[in-house]
Amino acid sequence: MLFYVARRLVSGLVLAVMVTLITFLLLAPSFNGIVGNRLGSAATPETVAQMKAQMGLDRPLATQYVDWLSHAVRGDLGRSYFTGIPVRDAVEQHLGVTLSIVLVTLMLTVVVSVALGVLAASKGGLVDRAVQALSLTGHLIPNLLIAIVLVYLLAVKSRLVPATGFTSLADDPAKWAQSIFIPVIALLIASVAGLTAQVRGTMIDELRKDYVRMLRTRGVPTRSVVLRHALRNAAGPALTVLSFEFVAMLGGALIIEKVFAIPGFGSYAFDASLQGDIPIIMGITVFAVLLVVVVNLTVDLVNGWLNPKARIF
Amino acid sequence: MSITPGILRRPRAAAAAFAVAALLASAACGGSSDTPDATGGPTADTLLSTAIQAPPSSFALTQLDGGQGSYVWGSLYDRLLYIDNTGAIKPNAAESFTYSADRKTLTLKLQQGMKFRSGAPVNAAAVKASLDRIRDTPGPNQANEASIASVEAPDESTVVIKLKHPDGSLLVNLAGINGVIGDPATMADPGSATDPMTSGPYELDKARTVPGSAYTLVRRDDYWNVKAYPFKTVRIVVMPDRAAVVNALRSGQLNAASVDPTQVDPLKAQGLQVKPIAASTAGIMFLADRKGTKLKPLGDLKVRQAINQVFDRTKLVQMFLRGSGMATTQVFNPKSQAFDASLDKDYPFDVAAAKKLMAEAGYADGFSVTMPSFVTTKPFEPVVTGALGAIGIKVTWEPVPLQNYSSALSSGKFPMFFAFYGLDHEAVLSTLYFSPGTPTNPFKSADPELTKLLDEANAATDDATAAAAYKKVNQFVVKNAWFAPILDIGTTWVTAKGISYLGDGTSVALDVRTFGNAG
Repeated sequence: MLFYVARRLVSGLVLAVMVTLITFLLLAPSFNGIVGNRLGSAATPETVAQMKAQMGLDRPLATQYVDWLSHAVRGDLGRSYFTGIPVRDAVEQHLGVTLSIVLVTLMLTVVVSVALGVLAASKGGLVDRAVQALSLTGHLIPNLLIAIVLVYLLAVKSRLVPATGFTSLADDPAKWAQSIFIPVIALLIASVAGLTAQVRGTMIDELRKDYVRMLRTRGVPTRSVVLRHALRNAAGPALTVLSFEFVAMLGGALIIEKVFAIPGFGSYAFDASLQGDIPIIMGITVFAVLLVVVVNLTVDLVNGWLNPKARIF
Repeated sequence: MSITPGILRRPRAAAAAFAVAALLASAACGGSSDTPDATGGPTADTLLSTAIQAPPSSFALTQLDGGQGSYVWGSLYDRLLYIDNTGAIKPNAAESFTYSADRKTLTLKLQQGMKFRSGAPVNAAAVKASLDRIRDTPGPNQANEASIASVEAPDESTVVIKLKHPDGSLLVNLAGINGVIGDPATMADPGSATDPMTSGPYELDKARTVPGSAYTLVRRDDYWNVKAYPFKTVRIVVMPDRAAVVNALRSGQLNAASVDPTQVDPLKAQGLQVKPIAASTAGIMFLADRKGTKLKPLGDLKVRQAINQVFDRTKLVQMFLRGSGMATTQVFNPKSQAFDASLDKDYPFDVAAAKKLMAEAGYADGFSVTMPSFVTTKPFEPVVTGALGAIGIKVTWEPVPLQNYSSALSSGKFPMFFAFYGLDHEAVLSTLYFSPGTPTNPFKSADPELTKLLDEANAATDDATAAAAYKKVNQFVVKNAWFAPILDIGTTWVTAKGISYLGDGTSVALDVRTFGNAG
């Protein structure tokens, strides 16, 4: 297994190099524009050329990329063109903010979705229809609308939670919980809707299989059949959906971050792209690729642990 | 058999459920969010808490930008001069400033006893080093010092700036970014981008600052002019979303911010004070190719005048701004000395007259033009397309990413374009709009008459003469239809009880001194 993990991590690094190279090449045609914007109304062909030289953007593209890569492998991702902040610090800080919202959302998603999905699949009838209706409603209601209503009720009217902003967990756990409360709820509803439908569907499939009938005829308690056997087999597809949700949320949290003025990864990536802050964009790309690689690897390992037949190592 | 209770009986599931419950309980029992920590709420010692839409860029002396980030860096750095809330240029770190008779030498006398946070003195050498560094380093403010021939520091408190030619915008620039005073010992350090050594009225509270998101500034009690800054603590939060700003004002997290005029009513109902500023940003159609080198019709005055007559400006102000702005044919601030109210009557909305002008110019069937489409111009594009279409001008909008804004305009690819610019001081706007080769004058338009008027304005020895000269500059560009200004966008300031917004639109300087604590 260790060899498998090492192989996946190495292939992840290769993927990161390829993706950052493509990103860099996509940014290259904008170099003049980025420098021009930095100069604003003072941008003339002469000042743009002068500043490009100062920033090293006049060198051959291959030289620039290799230079960046040689620093990146040593952990030095450079500094933001616009703020001068070290890229690694900035990206880690913003990623930490988003992760602290997304991980809580995912944790709650798992708890709620598994409970609802299993309940619907095992009970059937009215309960199943109610869960399906809830799931559909969750899909249909835009999370931004939910956020706006919750802000009005909980922040503006009741002042129970802040309307905007973020407090880090390390600074003050209670205020952190308050600051992420509405964003988590807003993200949670669509996420739960998706995973509940997935868990319900796979659980129904599992509960109809022969081995379940066999277990029941042998007198194994229903709770054990459902939770120990059927749910374990149904967890694979759900985990895959969850990993997609995680990746989607990293970027998809953008709107929530904007609405709540949360300094997260999505809004930071968006702003850096608008500005053309090349070092930040490259740093964000590196972190995003590595995160996706690690999440996919983790899902494969957990899948294998849950279901030996699904092992690919 | 019930499944859910079973799940809850399992220790791990119960722990997860407990975590959820704790989260909800914590949120429900946490009380008010009035904390100046990362959530940005005011407490007893945070007297001003406001929002900006975009974070400041680098704090390095040569890379400061003039947007809303000015609230932050303008509080950290001290400046030579200061533009007060009536738009007048006043002494600041320089206690006096005098021009020579030929307006080519400016002598500044510095206040005594000024110190950087490090304790090092703020003296003429520091001012000279700062001016020299901005002038010699590529950056957004380098061009503002193009007129400076040399800077001398004959003694500890005297700075002499020698100019190549009179420069009417120099004093305004010295009250802005070009007047900031950096510490010669550290101004070149990379660390100055985030933590510069400054001598201004506030210092950054790093423990309560998240770069790019929220800045907490604490007043320096040893600052030489501390009485001009009533707020002990200033909290500036980055909020790109306008609805978030309103929510933060309503929930008490902010006590001063600008909002969209459409959002004022609930804020008023909540007892917040509202102060509208009629004009702070101009929406202008730049008819840049005035010689017709790329688009021949634009070289004809009648075509440019026709374009000016196809916009129903009054209706557009109502439609887009709900009345929070004003219709205008001028590029200058309505409160500036250059503004001439009579010029607003020059181009009334009259499509028939515009068509006649087009026919007289030989373009009765119109022509085609490609204009750049930026994310900022999108809401106005259908209006521009429709208005120009009324006289046969077919517009194709070419999407341009915002990061390519300056280079796209400078490239000379677009003979006309629509853009927004702040209604700055007339001297600054004259440099911005009429300097050849810049993004706002990509076709290097020049005219001997305009050059003469600008020279007169630059060499004016008193305000009245300068005002008369800039008014003539304005009359020239309106009569010659160099632009087709459409509307001025206003700003609506909302403040909580105890806070007042002191500006009236005359000055567009973004400075914490535009807020008072007597509201």
